Amino acid sequence: MDIRALVLVSKAVEAAADPMPVSPLAPALLEVAGKTALQRTVERLREFGIQSATVITDSDFLVSEDSEDEQGTTYQATPRERFWRAAENAFNDLAQEGAELVLLMHLGGYAEINLEKFVQFHLDQRARVTQASAPGEPLRIFCISASRRNDAASLFRSQLSRCRSECPFFEHEGYFNPLREARDLRQLAIDILTLKTETKPCGSEMRSGVWIERKAVIEKGARVLAPAFIGAFARIRSHAVVTRCSSVEHHAEIDCGSVVENSTVLPYCRVGAGLDVAHSVVGAGVLANLRRDVTVEIADRKLVGFVVAGRGQQFLSAAFELATYLPKQMWRGLFGPSQPQPRDLRTALHDTSPSLGGAAGYQTSACDTDAAEKFPSNLAVARRYGHQ
Amino acid sequence: MDTNSRPVVVKRMPERLNSRAAREFLRDVQPFLVTDRPQLVFDLSQIKQLDAAGVEMLLRCMSEAHKRDGDLKLASLSPQAAVVLELTRTERLFEIYETSADAVRSFSGFLPNAMRQQLLHRQQPPAPLAA
Repeated sequence: MDIRALVLVSKAVEAAADPMPVSPLAPALLEVAGKTALQRTVERLREFGIQSATVITDSDFLVSEDSEDEQGTTYQATPRERFWRAAENAFNDLAQEGAELVLLMHLGGYAEINLEKFVQFHLDQRARVTQASAPGEPLRIFCISASRRNDAASLFRSQLSRCRSECPFFEHEGYFNPLREARDLRQLAIDILTLKTETKPCGSEMRSGVWIERKAVIEKGARVLAPAFIGAFARIRSHAVVTRCSSVEHHAEIDCGSVVENSTVLPYCRVGAGLDVAHSVVGAGVLANLRRDVTVEIADRKLVGFVVAGRGQQFLSAAFELATYLPKQMWRGLFGPSQPQPRDLRTALHDTSPSLGGAAGYQTSACDTDAAEKFPSNLAVARRYGHQ
Repeated sequence: MDTNSRPVVVKRMPERLNSRAAREFLRDVQPFLVTDRPQLVFDLSQIKQLDAAGVEMLLRCMSEAHKRDGDLKLASLSPQAAVVLELTRTERLFEIYETSADAVRSFSGFLPNAMRQQLLHRQQPPAPLAA
């Protein structure tokens, strides 16, 4: 039987204006543990035996013009306003090419549907269109008899919300994540890393529960605690810690001493030095804190920023830093402000208190007592900070 | 023991606290910081954007206040401010209160905050039983 797949990826039908504020991409195009939901779906289709899938997207990020990868998947980018028309045309093309059944998947979420059972259910029902449904909500996954073009057209024209003929539901019992908000993205990463899904993290499992992709750099002193994922070309700098189902996607960077705990760092994002990222999804200058349920824009690139430089540029800038380090230190040593020398207790006690200084007009010591004589200068002085 | 009669200065922070705004804000609060034992409360309810320079300014104010045996407390943190303070691991350095009034009141008591809470709980009358 000739079964083809038509995969749609768009933000056009989402109810919220900006469902995933951490990234301008559609949720299905965001990498989670090394691969996007789209890539995982296409892989799943291949495992089922569908070699040629057609992917239609309204996102220019995925593909700039129509293209085909080496495994036979065709990608088409289309403007948002013509998205559904393009989907209908693609369906008609598949039907003309001889397809008997078309699996139509609109990737809002990620579902690990048992395609064999789904197709069998469709055939058993003798339906024109069959829809998959998870407990509590219908999924935007359909099995359509290719000869029923009018039913397909009505489905596309209603943006998959209405079917012309009776449409039986196939109950999906496997894994499903709606990928509606940052929380879902985080949950998908947790589920993949804890092996609750059939799909696995990319890369090789270096230690039990720690997946590291090729060319990821983990500097000396950095710690990656299972379960965790480090994407390709990502860099975990010295004394950084990545732990508790955290996923650092490709080309991301965690700077020195930062702790990433139960968080997802999206591709090309940079987490600055000495930060504490917990229960969050870090995007391009945006941080979604899941515990506080708030998304914060962070304009300061010292905290959260982009890794924009290529490898060559990074190398040149590092070389420049190295070359100018010594002259800078010499300049600072010769002409920079001198560091205040630590004073001993006796001198400190005999100096005027800053609060009583010149402004108060006091010239004598605020603490000119015999007590200073009794204490050695190396005695530690404990101060009250706040109420502690 | 309630012996405190010095004024507490409450200052509302601007919506965006980048390096420029932080410098301006520091200039504004400088006269209060250089007094003897300054008591300051910063209201962060309006903060929409806080960056590293803003956090650094807060730490500087706190350090200046401590130098003069005073204190700086934060109140009404907006979610944005709370997230950035948590991110930069500085939230544990400040005393943070729900409202500015709570923060001001905290200056008047001598007891540490935790002990004051315990006392309050002890003093509260038992809840009336349902009829």
